[in-house]
Amino acid sequence: MRSTLLIRYLVAAASVALVASACTSAPAGPLPPAPEPTSTEALVAQLEASTVPVVVNVWASWCHPCRTEASLIASASTARPEVRFIGLNVRDDPNAAREFIATYLSEAQMDHYSDRSGRIPIDLGATNGVPVTFFYRPHGELASLHFGIIDEPALAIGLDEISR
Amino acid sequence: MEFSLLAAAAISGAAFWLVLRWEAKRGNAAGCALDLWDTGLMSAIVGLAAGRIAAMVLVGVNPVTNPGQVILIRSGVSTEVAVLGGLAAFAWLARADLVNAADAIAPAGLAALAGWHGGCVATSSCLGTGSTLPWAYALSGSVVTRHPVELYAAITMAASAAALALWKQHGRPWPLAVTGTALVVAAGTRLATEPMRVSLGSAPITFYAIGVIAGIFVLGFGWARLRSAE
Repeated sequence: MRSTLLIRYLVAAASVALVASACTSAPAGPLPPAPEPTSTEALVAQLEASTVPVVVNVWASWCHPCRTEASLIASASTARPEVRFIGLNVRDDPNAAREFIATYLSEAQMDHYSDRSGRIPIDLGATNGVPVTFFYRPHGELASLHFGIIDEPALAIGLDEISR
Repeated sequence: MEFSLLAAAAISGAAFWLVLRWEAKRGNAAGCALDLWDTGLMSAIVGLAAGRIAAMVLVGVNPVTNPGQVILIRSGVSTEVAVLGGLAAFAWLARADLVNAADAIAPAGLAALAGWHGGCVATSSCLGTGSTLPWAYALSGSVVTRHPVELYAAITMAASAAALALWKQHGRPWPLAVTGTALVVAAGTRLATEPMRVSLGSAPITFYAIGVIAGIFVLGFGWARLRSAE
């Protein structure tokens, strides 16, 4: 009887701790600037001019899986400074995008651009869905693209492929 | 929808079921009154859910306000919490006869892990670091040949599961010997293959090392228990 009560208290305490610890805090301080609008031509020109490998991660603030993979993208961008990370925000409200960057990608070493029409990923060879991650070798050669949420092994292999 | 992960889970479940069936036909689960399929499945589900929720909490996503993301297994699962959660669930479900149940389920559990690793064929995630060995192969569109590291792990675990099942049938392993060996093999295989995996540095190497030590401890504990009973 006592052990059952104890287990109930432990479960209740664990639940409260879980909720408390998991609450994402609102971004403190001023929001970062909104992602700069770009076009397919401008982005391709950047990729072709790049002498380092580039990862282009397509995201949107309304995309829940994007939130989940954001921390992995952010940590990879800081762990691999020899690779350039570009965030391409698609079909989004600029203010929502700013909040997303402040909340989920504030630690990331990456440049963000916006594409309100959502046309650029399709022009680059993907589909309409987000998230999508493109891996480019230096000078804009597409090595691979990953549809959907990217996990650590896939991101690590993609980075290894473009870094050789 | 990530059907490839479901395929990997199905391969794992099939391996688990096959070994359980094989063992049941040979009376290897004698003394164990549990339904091992149900117990194993429930432990795996609890472990997976715990690991997924822990991974969400670690990246700052609230599982209470985002419950739909709990099923996004592809987004990441905390290995440590998943393993500990699964083992805790099993210990709770099998508490009436833990030693017999653990020994009865261990080879099938190892086979399930082998199936999960072998499921990399479905998820296209078998490859690790670069290699020029004859069986190394490249990703589609790449010229870099790589170790099929997940298949190494799958083959090692599958062979060990078969060896353990045969040991139970033909040998006379002491209580917890099979469980301890399975723990050593599972954690040791991950530890040994880790240098051949490409990662961003978050592999729980220490956890695998602790798993090997825990397995050796379980082996020794079972042996000491037997000797003291004699």
